[in-house]
Amino acid sequence: MLALAFRAGNADLAIAARSIVEVLPRVALRTPTLAPAAVIGLLPYRGTLMPVVDLCMLVEGRPAALELGTRIIVVRIHYAGDSRLVGLQAEDVSELIELGPTTPGLRSSEHAWLGDHLTQAAGLPQLVDPAELLPEALTKLFLAKAET
Amino acid sequence: MSNKSNLATKLSYFVAVFLVLFSIFALLAWRTLQQVRVQGPLYDEIMLGNELIADVLPPPQFIIEPYLLTLQLSEQTGATEITRLIEKGNELRINYENGQEKWKRVLARDTMGDLMTVTSYRAAMEFFRLRDDEFIPAIRAGDRDLAKRVLVQMGQRYEAHRYAIDEVWKLAAQRNVANEAKADTLVSSKLSALALLALAIIFLVFVMAWFARRAAATLSLRVQLVSEVADRVAHGDLSTEVPSTTDSDETGRLLGSIGRMTHNLRSLVTRVKQASVELMSTATEFAATSRQQESTVQGFGASTNQIAAAVKQIAATSQELLATMEGINAVSAQTADLAEQGQSGLSNLDSTMDRLAQTANAMSARLAAIREEAAEITGVVTTISKVADQTNLLSINAAIEAEKAGEQGLGFLVLAREIRRLADQTAVATLDIEQMVKQMQSAVSAGVMEIDRFAEEVRSGVGTVERVGGQFGQIISEVRTLSERFDTVNHGMRSQSHGARQIGEAMGQLLDGARQTSVSLREFNGATESLRDAVTVLKQEIAKFNLGS
Repeated sequence: MLALAFRAGNADLAIAARSIVEVLPRVALRTPTLAPAAVIGLLPYRGTLMPVVDLCMLVEGRPAALELGTRIIVVRIHYAGDSRLVGLQAEDVSELIELGPTTPGLRSSEHAWLGDHLTQAAGLPQLVDPAELLPEALTKLFLAKAET
Repeated sequence: MSNKSNLATKLSYFVAVFLVLFSIFALLAWRTLQQVRVQGPLYDEIMLGNELIADVLPPPQFIIEPYLLTLQLSEQTGATEITRLIEKGNELRINYENGQEKWKRVLARDTMGDLMTVTSYRAAMEFFRLRDDEFIPAIRAGDRDLAKRVLVQMGQRYEAHRYAIDEVWKLAAQRNVANEAKADTLVSSKLSALALLALAIIFLVFVMAWFARRAAATLSLRVQLVSEVADRVAHGDLSTEVPSTTDSDETGRLLGSIGRMTHNLRSLVTRVKQASVELMSTATEFAATSRQQESTVQGFGASTNQIAAAVKQIAATSQELLATMEGINAVSAQTADLAEQGQSGLSNLDSTMDRLAQTANAMSARLAAIREEAAEITGVVTTISKVADQTNLLSINAAIEAEKAGEQGLGFLVLAREIRRLADQTAVATLDIEQMVKQMQSAVSAGVMEIDRFAEEVRSGVGTVERVGGQFGQIISEVRTLSERFDTVNHGMRSQSHGARQIGEAMGQLLDGARQTSVSLREFNGATESLRDAVTVLKQEIAKFNLGS
């Protein structure tokens, strides 16, 4: 089992490789009109327009650094029996690690998407479930668009 | 003050004496009038005498005595006695007629006059005619009866006469009483008029005395004023203002004349005083000016002496200067030679410098080429790192796909891991290369900077050398012009020396002139002193006059 390690601000995070659709290089995006700050753009992908969320903006309130290591992780999210592909822009997306045993750390009800720590990996990255990662407002926004 | 009262006192004495004399005169007049007036003491005495005579004497105009004589005759028998009585009767008749003559002349033709001179007179004449024509012849004849009848007729005539006389007496008495009353009123009215007149005269005298006193006072005041003013003027005090008067009398005119005299005198003295002051200041100015001139002349003499000495010194100094100039000329020629040598040395240095600058420029160009090459290397490295990145991405996606594939994907997963490792190594290598290229670039940049600085210094060195060369050239040209100027100065010095000698001679002449001027100024000074003495005497004389403000 593998997991993709990345950073969002100071937080070392990881996502299980199974739940990832594809990793894309950072590209210039069309900035959406009247959207929340975390949504940095829409990307044409596999015949649809995929919303891209900046995790750095979500966690620390600052945009991700413009580096080669900054990439877009494409995941599929599900909500009320519907699903949509969503791009997550994160920093240092360059390493696959072994998904070993996990240990729960601090858990906060506000940020339930921050899961257990990978104890064998360097930096003790926290496993993230992409289904719970986005706030409900964003999830609704993305899926409501899909319904229409 | 005795002067002042003199006139007034005299006037007062005169008035007092007049008053006393007039009072005595008035008293006497009054007393006389009192004495001689009707029913006054004298009048009473005179009247008493008249009455006494009238009472004692038989009244000549009343024919009672002739009537009594006829009665006596009628009784008498003696012849001598009869003759004496007849003669006495005749005498009485003459007396009566004489009296009648007088009264006829005196009395006016009025009632009383008629009674007196006509009625009583006719009866009396009738009586005397009967006596002379009938009675006396009857008596002489001794016819007593006839005499008695005639006597009765005569008695009738006497009665008529007496009646008329009584009337006359009554009228005369009445008239007397009226006359007395008239006289009395006349006298008393005259007396009161006299008293009034006396009072008026006394009042007038007092008024006159007052006027006289006032006039005398004014007069004496003015005269005193005038005398005081004159006294002050005599003592030299001209400040007194004489009060002006509008009176045109003698004292007023005198006052005016004295005022005009004082005014004219004052203006004269003022003018003289001003003139003396001006004269004094002029004399003082003369003295000061002449003294100043004297000192100036003396100073001039001293200055002239100094100038002569200075001129001599100038002559000596210019000689010395001439010698010094020649020395300086030689030194400047030497300086010019040295400067020329320096200039030639500098031109060698200049060419060396130019070569150095060229070399530095060549080095700089080469270093620039190196920098360009380094930039190219950087581009290549960037490309390599991009490729490494792409490879890494590819391997990740491959691994993900392999993971999804499960058991079938295991081999592919290993491959993907290897690819990722290679990509990572490439990335590290490119990182190293990038680092090295950066170091090289900085070294080249430092070299370029050093060379640039060197080239700059060489350039500035060349500029300095050129400047020094230029300065040498200037020194040479200036030294050359200097020697020309020195020649001019030399010439000037010679002529100056000559001029100084001439000035010295002129100064000697000037000194003589100054000495003569000094002597004449001293004489002028003496004259000014005597003028000042004279003006001082004049001033002292004028100072005796006080002009007031």
